Amino acid sequence: MLKSTLGGKGRILGGAALILLFLFPLFLPRFYIYLISIILLTGLLATSLNLPLGYGGIFQFHHAVFYGVGAYAAALMITKSGLSPWIGFAVGPFAAAFLSLIMGLICIRLSKLYFGMLQISLGSLVWIIVYRWYSFTGGDNGIHGIPVPDVISSPKGAYYFTLLVTLLSLWALHKIINSPFGSALQGIRDNPVRSAMIGINVKLHQLAVLIIAGFFAGVAGSLFIVVDTAVFPDMLFWTLSLEILIMCLLGGWFTFLGPMLGAAIIISLRTFVSGFTDYWTLPLGLLMMFVIFFLPNGILGYIQERLYRSPAEETDFVEQTVKES
Amino acid sequence: MEIVTAIFSPKLMSQIFVGLSRTVILFIVASGLSLILGVLRIPNIWHGSLYMVGAFMTFTISGVLGGGSMGFWMALILAPLGVALVSLIAERSFFQHLYEREHLMLLLLTFAFSLVFGDLVKMVWGMEYKSVPVPRIFQGSVHLFGGLPFPLYNVFLLAIGPVVAIALWLIVNKTKIGKISRAAAVDREMVGAVGINVSWVFAFVFMIGCFLAGLGGALVAPTVNVSLGMDHTLIMEAFLIVIIGGLGNIGGALVGALIFGLAQSLGILIWPQFGIVFPYAAVIVVLLLRPTGLLKSTW
Amino acid sequence: MKKVIYLSILMVGFLGLFLFSSPSHGANTIKIGIVDTYSGPPATMSQDVLDGFKMVVNEINAKGGILGKKIEFVTRDEKFKPDVGLAMAKELVLKENVDVLMGTISSSTALAVSDFAKKEKIPFLVTNSRTEKITGEKGHRYVFGIAENTAMAGRAAANALSRKPYVKYWIAGDDYEYGHSIAENVWNNLKALKPGVQLVDQTWWKVGESDFTPYITQIMSAKPDFLIAATGGATMVTFAKAAKATGLIARVPMYQHTVIDYGILGPLGADGPEGVYGTAPYLFYYPDTPANKTYVEEFRKAYGRYPQMFALFGYSAGRLIEKGFQKAGAVDKEKFINALEGMVIDSPVGKLEMRACDHQLQLPMMFGVVKKTPQFKDFLVASDIVMVPSTDFMPKCEEVLKTRKN
Repeated sequence: MLKSTLGGKGRILGGAALILLFLFPLFLPRFYIYLISIILLTGLLATSLNLPLGYGGIFQFHHAVFYGVGAYAAALMITKSGLSPWIGFAVGPFAAAFLSLIMGLICIRLSKLYFGMLQISLGSLVWIIVYRWYSFTGGDNGIHGIPVPDVISSPKGAYYFTLLVTLLSLWALHKIINSPFGSALQGIRDNPVRSAMIGINVKLHQLAVLIIAGFFAGVAGSLFIVVDTAVFPDMLFWTLSLEILIMCLLGGWFTFLGPMLGAAIIISLRTFVSGFTDYWTLPLGLLMMFVIFFLPNGILGYIQERLYRSPAEETDFVEQTVKES
Repeated sequence: MEIVTAIFSPKLMSQIFVGLSRTVILFIVASGLSLILGVLRIPNIWHGSLYMVGAFMTFTISGVLGGGSMGFWMALILAPLGVALVSLIAERSFFQHLYEREHLMLLLLTFAFSLVFGDLVKMVWGMEYKSVPVPRIFQGSVHLFGGLPFPLYNVFLLAIGPVVAIALWLIVNKTKIGKISRAAAVDREMVGAVGINVSWVFAFVFMIGCFLAGLGGALVAPTVNVSLGMDHTLIMEAFLIVIIGGLGNIGGALVGALIFGLAQSLGILIWPQFGIVFPYAAVIVVLLLRPTGLLKSTW
Repeated sequence: MKKVIYLSILMVGFLGLFLFSSPSHGANTIKIGIVDTYSGPPATMSQDVLDGFKMVVNEINAKGGILGKKIEFVTRDEKFKPDVGLAMAKELVLKENVDVLMGTISSSTALAVSDFAKKEKIPFLVTNSRTEKITGEKGHRYVFGIAENTAMAGRAAANALSRKPYVKYWIAGDDYEYGHSIAENVWNNLKALKPGVQLVDQTWWKVGESDFTPYITQIMSAKPDFLIAATGGATMVTFAKAAKATGLIARVPMYQHTVIDYGILGPLGADGPEGVYGTAPYLFYYPDTPANKTYVEEFRKAYGRYPQMFALFGYSAGRLIEKGFQKAGAVDKEKFINALEGMVIDSPVGKLEMRACDHQLQLPMMFGVVKKTPQFKDFLVASDIVMVPSTDFMPKCEEVLKTRKN
């Protein structure tokens, strides 16, 4: 990923960034540790969205549902059953994956815009159930004060846990994208008809992608509990889904690390702006408009455009832009 | 005979009528959304903000004009027109440049606009709720069913609903521009090939759709608290209605709005604690049986 | 396009710069962090709290501050959402390094922030949330309840209602922490005092609901004797309007906690819900004591309007901070907490004690009915007022402490 973006320099940059990430808690104030934890898990969430969106060409418009369901499943498991929180954290991703399977089966028959709108509809239904089932899910209050194992309950502990899980998940996602499965997926994105003709089961691949994406969204949800010890119904609301989409777009949805960069920028910006003014959605909207009109491939996508190395990658890039316009 | 009176009890009739008045608002907004979706293929997330702007503008206009009945009627005409004008400017300046790009970009642009307008409304009108008084002729209630009072303003809504529906039907089916729009919904390239400026057709349709959003907001203003955040819940409901009705199908928007509005008010009758879930449950049922919507979509 | 890449790099660099800029926290100020809802319908109430607080702060700072340090405060808008509120509280504590947290009108947010305050060991003064869980079930050393809580209001109301002839009750309200809490407290206490009452059914709508017509028509058709309306800050005024417009007020007698407060009756003007029963811990026109009169005069001079009950909470918070730090002798969180326990402050409604066992401020309660009076032409007020001293309805210490699990 970085290698293809920036050549040999990419490796050094990547290594440096990694070392920095591990050393942050030693000198950064607590608030920034908390902030970076949030950036990491949101970046993971955005990357998991990018699997169907950027690599699969699927209009995953309500990804936040899986994030929220994963988080709520974990939270409910921890607070309602007597079992250890670790089991709760594991339950989250599987619950999210299960929901992806069900929603996927319903939506997969349709494609493109219709798929997206249907997903928003189904996702909203899940949201309304969580939001209104006051006695079970706490409704508008959400669930807070969730007990987290001591070893990861401090800001530093939560940070390192989040960092480790995020890195592992990113590694897994990267492997998936660069596997034959991933290539088939991108083939389906670029030309579903031809892919079907050479024997790829398009729908099955897409369903598999949705389940994987949902799983990792659920992982992000469990991580949120570790960092914030609370869950809220807004985690399933459609505005969050579109925000994650913006992150992917801003960072570059044809790149692997684009979503993570997008998450970092938006969360930092939001925190910074909120300290001065109450008007955050206005700058966010304007930023979106800027990206849509001038940087449609996102920041990393743009950097990649300027710094491509081999002719092979240039051809890929040309194909991409042709497809894009 | 007794069964009939038992079934059509005052409680039930009262709830049905309340649900129908809600249907009117939902239909007006959803039909605009469906129109834009059908012809321009844009899921217009900005629609909710325009609904909200319509309501706020109604507040301001009726306040400036003295706050009485005259003020309200003027607002009812001017606010949707104002919204339509804003939408036209936005469409010509921004949206039209993206028609050749992927749909995702258009969707995200409408989302960006809704974000921007969410804050603009906050800046212009402040953060408190606003209240629009009901025009004097419609104040009070009429005693319909078993002596239960039914607000007169809701009766007005029940009257205006069909008027808007018929007007919309006439425009879409009987005027030249309406027929061109329907053709453009199905095959925009052909329409362009015949020599019609498709771009201006889109502008027209977008304007009409947004006008409807503003009209919905203006009509709903006296019955609810006009506040920030009314865009979010409404746009979600409107999308659900459009989906179960059939994308781009105005008749479908009517059917969807009926299902949604009635399910809510009847749900409250059956199970007051969870009444709000009924419309969403109805949506699930429809989607499981017919995921493409009840009526034919235009694409 | 080179400009764009430079712009991007600049942007990222800019961000990095600000990310690493720490805010200043002067060693010679006492910093208070306030999280509250400053947008939407509850905004006027939160503003009232802030204004009452500012009145005290300005007075203190004019005298040179406490222990030689001026009081500085920052506010954050949580938009009535608990996730935003919690994030704001975290920012205030972890980044702005405030000494004391204050807030919020949303009971849900208050509970979430209370948890956080416990973990961070920072005092949290809950100015405007009413759920009894704050000092009850979820109470702890670091949280203090200032506003009257639902247990107190519930008991006071149940007391009054038990003497009325109504039997068939309906409960309706906002589906969140406060709504359920006030309804439960009123109902459980009422049932204990008058076992013959029946609960016909309940209706719960979402917080910030804007269209009450279908709910109200359904309640009216069920014809209960009495309605307990458990509405919170976001829906109080709109519900009152809808209740009047649909004729509910004329048909079904109703009780709403805080409906007699000026903050609700003022904006409604002549459209106020006449005949509705309500409770509130403060009315600017009653009791007509010199202390109350001076307070109201000062408030009007500063802000050009009458104070609602919420200003009293901000005012009390200010006094508690003043006397708390003075008694503690240092800007030390633990000493401050110790000082607050059992502290008595002066207020427009007399002396108020911050009860040591559960950290709840003991406010009196007024019970009245909304009526037109010749004294005030623009809005309705409470009438037939009964002022109940806190000793009559405060739940006992042992009862409260028993609800806390730890």
